[in-house]
Amino acid sequence: MSSPTPRRSRSFRRPATAAASAALAGVLLAACGAGGGSSADSSGPVHIKVWAWYPSFKPVVDEFNRTHKNIKVDWVQAGVGQDEYTKLKTVLKAGQGAPDVVMLEFQELPTIQVSKGLLDIGKYGANEDKGKYVDWAWKQVSDGDHVYAIPVDGGPMAMMYREDIFKKYKLKVPTTWAEFKEEAAKLHAADPKAYLTDFGSDETAAGWRQGLMWQAGSRPYTYSASKLPDIGVKLNDAGAKKVYDYWGDLVKNKLVDTTSYATTDFYNGLSSGKYATYIAAGWGPGYLSSVAKTTAGKWRVAPLPQWTAGGNQQGDWGGSTFAVTSQTKHPKEATEAARELFGTSEAAWKIGIDQAYLFPLSNPILNGAYFKSKKYDFFGGQQINSVFVPAANGIGSFDWSPFQDYAYNTDTTEVGKAIQGQVPWSSVSDNVQKQVTTYATQQGFKVNQ
Amino acid sequence: MSLLRQGSPAAGAAPRGQSVSDPDVPAASRHARPQTRWRLSARTRHRGMGLLLVTPFTLLFLAFLVAPLGYAFWLSLRTSTLVGGDHFSWFANYKQTFTDPHFLSGVRRVIVFGVVQIPLMIALALLGALIIDAATSRLAKVFRMTLFMPYAVPAVIGALMWGFLYSPTFGPVNSISQALGLGSADLLGHGLMLTSLGNIVTWQWTGYNMIVLYAALQGLPREIYEAARIDGASQLQTALRIKVPMISSALVLTLMFAIIGTLQFFTEPRVLEPTASSVITPDYTPNLYAYNLAFQYSEFNYSAAISFSLGAVVFIGSYLFLFLTRRRSGLK
Repeated sequence: MSSPTPRRSRSFRRPATAAASAALAGVLLAACGAGGGSSADSSGPVHIKVWAWYPSFKPVVDEFNRTHKNIKVDWVQAGVGQDEYTKLKTVLKAGQGAPDVVMLEFQELPTIQVSKGLLDIGKYGANEDKGKYVDWAWKQVSDGDHVYAIPVDGGPMAMMYREDIFKKYKLKVPTTWAEFKEEAAKLHAADPKAYLTDFGSDETAAGWRQGLMWQAGSRPYTYSASKLPDIGVKLNDAGAKKVYDYWGDLVKNKLVDTTSYATTDFYNGLSSGKYATYIAAGWGPGYLSSVAKTTAGKWRVAPLPQWTAGGNQQGDWGGSTFAVTSQTKHPKEATEAARELFGTSEAAWKIGIDQAYLFPLSNPILNGAYFKSKKYDFFGGQQINSVFVPAANGIGSFDWSPFQDYAYNTDTTEVGKAIQGQVPWSSVSDNVQKQVTTYATQQGFKVNQ
Repeated sequence: MSLLRQGSPAAGAAPRGQSVSDPDVPAASRHARPQTRWRLSARTRHRGMGLLLVTPFTLLFLAFLVAPLGYAFWLSLRTSTLVGGDHFSWFANYKQTFTDPHFLSGVRRVIVFGVVQIPLMIALALLGALIIDAATSRLAKVFRMTLFMPYAVPAVIGALMWGFLYSPTFGPVNSISQALGLGSADLLGHGLMLTSLGNIVTWQWTGYNMIVLYAALQGLPREIYEAARIDGASQLQTALRIKVPMISSALVLTLMFAIIGTLQFFTEPRVLEPTASSVITPDYTPNLYAYNLAFQYSEFNYSAAISFSLGAVVFIGSYLFLFLTRRRSGLK
């Protein structure tokens, strides 16, 4: 009587295994198929495969292909940010399948470089571009004569605010963080459903928090690829502590919201008026105008509030580069594509500025009349770059670590605990410091604290 | 079938595992016995045929399961650091695994999750199976389909959908509770995340388990119910004392799958991670930790060791479970 059961269980498992192995086979086949990279005919142009996620990038590629007869760029959108990095790290580990040129944010460069994923394009003429880009950006992509990427766009931070809400509640546009706190209290008291801003507590906002610490003078890493295995790690310096004490206080008093960035709830808050300001970066206007279309004309841009009245301390959040991977078979052509896709091309940058709201780091474009005087309808016709350009010029030098993902994730976890009240805000940066130094030591670095 | 079982004592005494529905097997072998040479060659031919038939499977099995497993195991025995290079380190990674607070907290979390979620889900599935087995109306069919439907929704889409439903500003869950004056709860916050995840998993898998149990119930001989009824057993007594014990091996099977699934918990937390990354940390579940180690931190070797350690936990867990339930499952 019980004999049919083992039979059933056996036949039951079979389709499951078959399905699993079929799925696995599919994944592996796809992974193999994705390989290849670039190929060159003896006659035609050299094909250079590019991974990037810039908005409106296709016309930029078309423009490049139109003006370059020896190279044809094949563009692939391989995911935004972390999604692309995950793929890149996998194909680098696999030893094949990487693109020739890849879009990387500044903070990710040392991480990919330390695992030998990037080509030193200084050997292929990239050093000639040294004077073409703003100084702090060039320092982040190079190490002496070694060049690991070409800067494209930057993220100098500023404060976007809803002029209508500020008028309605008679708020003053804060110029210092102390004023920012006063206005936050005033707004929340007048409308308990509204917040002056949203504190970025999630992983996608790790760069936001880092940017604010950057402004507060924090320089957590001292790192140079040529001085391996030495690295300085000081994530709990005075600037970091100042920022966490300040925001911890706002969060504890419920004067700011803590919804994760990059969620529908957050987008909704930006367009519904739940948030009266959005502290963001040079690429922020593009982001804001796409997620909060309905609020067009109501936003304005003001400089980032300062720690001391009349100060001019700035920070950066995000921004990206083109790097050449170590797997490329055409280092010369790949370098050329990285240098000239945007580079100092006015035609490419016109698309980048008008359609993609990119913030150029190339000196002639950044300081050119077109960018500086451009009026933005979304911001009521304001010439917003009169705020962003000085902000970009106030950004000092900054080193990233070659384990930035780990540092950001650890920071996010500890911030999450602090928001829940599991750990005091004052110990967040100390906890992060402890974990990150332990990790770095395990990874073979010689850590100076 | 039932005629055979009652009429033929030989079939009734057939050894365990040999189906009573194949009475022609012994007959055929009896018939073939005198012609020894024929039988041998037939067997050889059969064997060749059999080998040929399993070859595609064997090849795929070796290429896509055994070889990757072997490679992963080899990876797990090496240590590679960002600047220290790559070297063979025997079981150092495993030693690190079982003292790694990230891994252990993840294991603890999925065990707590499983202890609450699995019994709840299996109880619901069993209840559903018993109801649709007892009911004869057309409604039972609709009910069966409806409960099974979530399983047809891909796990990623299911989790995305629930993430939206849980959303504090858009989510209908909060809108309804606010409309009823119950206030709102942060379903994606620290306090309720495990419960919210449990709800998704229960929603997705109850119907599937119900179908497995229902199929087992359908396989039971109907005469026994009749006998029970004649003996004066109520519907409830029939269900609890006859049906449930008789499908215990199917119950063990579903429990086993649920335990394995829970220890390997990945999809739902991975999908909800971007919406609540300060709650769903990179080490939230052991599988998520292994994924993040490999693809975010490029620690492929340690990730392989974590995966094998998780495999060991799953193996030991399932073996223990089977051992404890060996009498019920009939797998003595």
